[in-house]
Amino acid sequence: MTDDAPGVPDESVDPVLSVRGLEKRFGGITALDGVDLEIAPGITGLIGPNGAGKTTFFNCVTGYLEPDAGTVEFGGVDVTNEGPAAKAQQGLVRTFQIPRELPEMTVRENLLLAPQQQSGETLRSTWLRGDAFVTDERRVRGDAREMAEFLELDHLLDDPAGSLSGGQRKLLELARVLLTDPDLVLLDEPLAGVNPTLETKILDRIHDLQERGLSFLFVEHDIDVIMEHCDTVVVMHRGDVLTRGDPEDVRTDERVIEAYLGGDTE
Amino acid sequence: MAVADFAVTIATFIVIYSLFGLGLNVKFGFTGLIDFGHVAYFMIGAYVTVVLTMPASTAAYRGLGGFALPEFLSAIPGGSLIGWLLGLAGGMLAAALVSLFVGIPTLRLREDYLAITALGVATILNAVVHNEHWLFNGPFGIRDIHQPLATAFPLSPGTFLVSLAIFGIPSLAIFAYAGYKLWGVLEPVSLRTAGIATAGGLVFVAGFAAIAIDFGDLVLGAAGILLLVAGGYIARVAFQETDVPGAVAGLLAAELFIVWYFVAPLVQEGAFVLLRNTLFLYDPAAGPNGGLDYDRFLLVFGGALLVLAYYWVERTVNSPYGRVLRSIREDEDVPEALGKDTFRYKIQSLAFGSALAGAAGGLWATNIGFIDPSQFAATVTFFAFTAVIIGGTANNKGVILGTVVFWSINAGTRFLDDYFPSKYAIQLAAARLILIGVLLIVILYYRPEGILGEQDYPVRGIGGGTDD
Repeated sequence: MTDDAPGVPDESVDPVLSVRGLEKRFGGITALDGVDLEIAPGITGLIGPNGAGKTTFFNCVTGYLEPDAGTVEFGGVDVTNEGPAAKAQQGLVRTFQIPRELPEMTVRENLLLAPQQQSGETLRSTWLRGDAFVTDERRVRGDAREMAEFLELDHLLDDPAGSLSGGQRKLLELARVLLTDPDLVLLDEPLAGVNPTLETKILDRIHDLQERGLSFLFVEHDIDVIMEHCDTVVVMHRGDVLTRGDPEDVRTDERVIEAYLGGDTE
Repeated sequence: MAVADFAVTIATFIVIYSLFGLGLNVKFGFTGLIDFGHVAYFMIGAYVTVVLTMPASTAAYRGLGGFALPEFLSAIPGGSLIGWLLGLAGGMLAAALVSLFVGIPTLRLREDYLAITALGVATILNAVVHNEHWLFNGPFGIRDIHQPLATAFPLSPGTFLVSLAIFGIPSLAIFAYAGYKLWGVLEPVSLRTAGIATAGGLVFVAGFAAIAIDFGDLVLGAAGILLLVAGGYIARVAFQETDVPGAVAGLLAAELFIVWYFVAPLVQEGAFVLLRNTLFLYDPAAGPNGGLDYDRFLLVFGGALLVLAYYWVERTVNSPYGRVLRSIREDEDVPEALGKDTFRYKIQSLAFGSALAGAAGGLWATNIGFIDPSQFAATVTFFAFTAVIIGGTANNKGVILGTVVFWSINAGTRFLDDYFPSKYAIQLAAARLILIGVLLIVILYYRPEGILGEQDYPVRGIGGGTDD
């Protein structure tokens, strides 16, 4: 680890996501101060005190905010200036910290929105209703049901999403991004408000999906979860990467203890 | 004028404005685009259809065209009608294209900016048509409007009895179907509640009759007003007793319609007029044996177009495509995060809704027979918004119901003017708008989703078992 770019690892594994010199200012406040970060395949945890720039980082990477400077490369392709939709189509998706369910639509409809390249989402196919329309719709309905069953939402499929509890909204949000068939998922506090048994299930599922080639970058405040489940941990502080490394190294890093973990970490 | 003729006129209005409202529902109801400039596409549809179909040279017209498509194609069988339909398609296309020009810059804005910008653009377009005389003759308007198949009417096939049967039987069938449908709606109302509501309605009608006999008479006028209030109070009891207020309101509306359409004409004019009202598509004055006049034909023709448009919109929204539209309405960031190019969907929705408004405009011009820019004021947009909100936003049936309610109040009560002294004409016109305003507030307060609420969205034809 070099001091000028603590977010860039020494070993040369092809990164999934590569961010260079990312800057974002809101008026006089510098939210991101030249972030350099490479996310390797696997599960990466992103921690840092409130206001460290984690959510701004998510927003800039996924296209919701335009960075003032810097580049974002995804799978070796420069996607800095592309919008959220184009990034999602390429397999870079995110969840929102505050769940953004579509309240007037049913849980099923919320899920059915997620799969990519549905034939029935074009006007032409909707008006003509060919075979592709039917087969695609059957397939995505099957996928949606399976995902709902896994996340224990299947009994709520026909309820309006606005009637779900806070935890269930989190699950719906997670189900939706997983249904997009992504390569890298940015999860903004996916476990906040989720009950412990389901938390374990979700983490198991994340490991499962990771073995199938998906990568995750997630913001989480439960340090035990981060330590136990992440391959790599990135620590942000004041709009920059403070350090990155194995969970154990990070836990014992003096600067991390001072900035985030506090004195007593044992 | 028999009530039937009046009813045909209003029904044609309702058909045209329902088509217009369906277009607004695509934009506002299903996609959440607040287009305060919807009337602009109504205007463009009307003008373009007219100019494409009107004769090449007409007196007192100095604008562009006409292009006389029906004459051009009259050599082939049915060519005249095809020519007019092409003109209508041209009107729809023009409306859609102009909406693209408006939409490409404004749809990047957030919804409230779109509303204001669209209102501005509609006002500008109206001013352009008004002031640029070389374009569509400015404020002098267009009188020489091609009316498709007009030469075939009045249509009077065969003898008196044949003609009566051909148009009378469908009229009866329409009433029978409407009655059957109504019965389904009214069934949950208990006999007791229905009785109270009916009693209230009758007292209300008696109060109106007292006023109608002589409003100037202090005793009759006062008694009438008291009876109106009493009728309203009794009806209120019925509403308090029931958990199906919509059905009770439907019952009252149906009873008022029956009194207006069947009972009053029978009392005032006799059985012959009652028969005319019942067989409303058959006009005894049309042709030697009676038959279908052009106004009634336009109602049937417009009704057919409305049915077509209804199923077209239904097919569009009951699909994965419709899901994306609604997700944009709910929270545009979400479909964006899930890889949907929301801008493309919004543009398409705007163009589709505008094309339907254009079709309504073409039909409007044909029905009215004269167009000028003053017919396309911004209020027309807000009439449509009112109708959509009353009937049910994001509900195609609700749009039609809302349009029926709106125009029943706004135009259907015009016959009441005859009963009041003419010096009250302005007050009566204002009273209608007040009544609509009150209804709108009541709906927004007690039932913000509209009378019917949002519709369901079954995706048909994908087989059973997947939507369990």
